[in-house]
Amino acid sequence: MTPSFGPTKRSRRSRAQLGALLKVQAKLSLREPYALGLGIGLPAILLVVFGLISRQVPGNVGNSGLTVIDLYIPTIMVVSFIFIAISLPNTLVRDREIGWLKRISTTPVHPSRLLGVQLILDLVLAAVAIVITIVGGAAIFGAQLTVDIPLFILSIALAIAEIFSLGLVVVALAPTQTVATSIAGVLMFALLFLSGLWIQPVQVGGPLQVIMWYSPSGAAVRAILSSVFNQAPPVTTLVTLACYTLVFAFVAVRYFRWE
Amino acid sequence: MLHPARNPRGEQPAVTIENVVKRYGTVLAVDNVSFSIQEGEIFGIIGPNGAGKTTTVECISGLRVPNSGSISVYGLSPQRDRDQIREFVGVQLQESALPPRLRVGEALNLFASFYPSPLDPQEVLDSLGIKHLARVAFKNLSGGQKQRLSIALALVGNPKIAILDELTTGLDPEARRDTWALIERMKGRGVTVILVTHFMDEAETLCDRVALIDRGGLRALDTPEAIAAQAGVNRVRFIPSQPVDDEALYAVHGVQVVERKERYVTVTGTGDLAASLIDALAAKGVKVSELEARHGNLDDAFIRLTRDTASTVSEEVQV
Repeated sequence: MTPSFGPTKRSRRSRAQLGALLKVQAKLSLREPYALGLGIGLPAILLVVFGLISRQVPGNVGNSGLTVIDLYIPTIMVVSFIFIAISLPNTLVRDREIGWLKRISTTPVHPSRLLGVQLILDLVLAAVAIVITIVGGAAIFGAQLTVDIPLFILSIALAIAEIFSLGLVVVALAPTQTVATSIAGVLMFALLFLSGLWIQPVQVGGPLQVIMWYSPSGAAVRAILSSVFNQAPPVTTLVTLACYTLVFAFVAVRYFRWE
Repeated sequence: MLHPARNPRGEQPAVTIENVVKRYGTVLAVDNVSFSIQEGEIFGIIGPNGAGKTTTVECISGLRVPNSGSISVYGLSPQRDRDQIREFVGVQLQESALPPRLRVGEALNLFASFYPSPLDPQEVLDSLGIKHLARVAFKNLSGGQKQRLSIALALVGNPKIAILDELTTGLDPEARRDTWALIERMKGRGVTVILVTHFMDEAETLCDRVALIDRGGLRALDTPEAIAAQAGVNRVRFIPSQPVDDEALYAVHGVQVVERKERYVTVTGTGDLAASLIDALAAKGVKVSELEARHGNLDDAFIRLTRDTASTVSEEVQV
C-alpha cells in the first residue's frame, strides 16, 4: 500500500531532496541578493575604505599597538556575519507569511530542511567573506596577521553561531515580514555600532568599552581579533559568546513557527 | 469487529474520520464530525465560510491535531504516521503562495524530487496547459495560472489522495471548467479527491458524495442528488386559464407554499408537483400555460440546511 524503502534507498532520496532544495535556494539567493550583496559586497568595500585610511594614517590606534586595518579586519568579518544574519528574517519570515513553509510541510520534506539549506548557503557566504577579508587585508593592505588557526576557527565558529542564532530569533519572534524588517533594521545598527564599525572599543575606553566588549557583536570582534594576532581570546570573551549563543538558540528554537 | 471502518463489501475506505473535535481556544471549529471516503471517489466538503471545512481537511492531512476523535488514512494516523502519509497525499492549500522569484518549472522539479515515485513534471505542466510558463516566475503569474501551478504541485508527487481546498476560487468561468475537467481526469487515474468548496455547482458537477458542514457540525452526507432531494424544494410556475383559489392549490398533494405575482402562480413543495397540479386543475376544468418546473438543486438544499444558522441568507433562490 505505502511504498517501503530500505535505508539505502531512503538516504539516497534524502540526498536528492537536499540537493534539489540547495539548488533552488541558491538560485533564489542569487535572484534576491540581499545576503550576497551585503554579506560579501559591503565588507569588500569596507576593506578598501579602511585599508586606504590605514595607509593615510599609519601607526597604532589608541595605544593598542595595532593599525587601522589590523583592528578593522575582525570588525569587517563580523559586519559581514551581521548582514548575512539580518537577511535570514527577510526571506524566511516572508516564506512563512505567504504560506510557503506550510506548503512544504505537507510534502515528505519538513520545512526545517529548507532552513538548514539556507544556513548552509549562508555559511558559504560567510566563508567567502572571511577569505576576502583575510587575504585582502594581508596581501593588499599589509595587515601583519599571525593567525592561530585552532583559536581562529573556534572564535569564528562561536561568532557565526551567535550572530546567526540572533537572526533566527528575529525569524522566530517577528509575526510579519514588515515587523521582521523593522526589528532587523534596528538590531543591525546596534550590532554594527557595537562591533566597532564607527569607533573601535580601544578608542573609547571606560564603561562604553566594557559594554562593547561584552555585547554580542563586540565580543565576537574581540575573540577574532585575539586569534588573528596569535593570542588566546580572553576566557570571559569566549564564555560570553557561548552564553549568547545558547540563549539565542534556545529562544529561536523555543518560539520558532513554520506557519 | 476488528475494523469498524471497513464497509460491507470488505473494501477499506481511503479516509475514515470518527467523532473528530477541534477547538481553537474557545471556538469550536469542528464538532464531532464522522464520515468515511471511499477509494477513487471525489468527495466534496461543502459549507458556508468559516464552517470548519478547511480545519477538517487539515486534520486529515496532519497539519492540525484534533482535540479528540480518530482519523485513519489507509489505516495510518495523520499524527503518528505523518511521514508515511505525506508520501501519498497531495495537498493544495487555500491561500498559499510560492517565493515570488521561484519559477514554475523549478517549483515542480523541486516537489517531484520530494516524492518516491513522482510524475514527470513536464507532463504535469502539459496536462494543465501551463507548459509554456515553465520559466515564468511565480510573481508574474495570473490568478488562474497560480491556481493551476498549485494543482500541479499537489499532483506531481503522484498521490493516491489529493486534497484540494477552494481550488477554483478567483478563476474565470473557462478556467473553472478546465479545472473541473482536470479533476475528472484525476479520478480517471484512480486518485481519491477530497474537494473543499463553497460553490454548489462545483460540488454538484464533480462530487460523487458531499458532506455538508455548518458551524463545525456535519449537516448532511450523501450524493449531491440525494441531498438536493432531501431538501425537496421543487418549484412550479404557471398561468392558470381561469382564477384558482389558494385553498384548491393547497389541497394538492405535496404543495407547501403558494405565491402569486401578477397572473403567475408559483407553487413550492415536494414530489412530482407539476404532474399533480396539472391533474388536479384539469379535474376542475382549469388549463395551465407557460408552465415552468424546476427540481431543487444543491443550492436550495444548502440554503435550507444552513438556514437556521444563517438567517441573513435569503430564501429566494436563483434559478
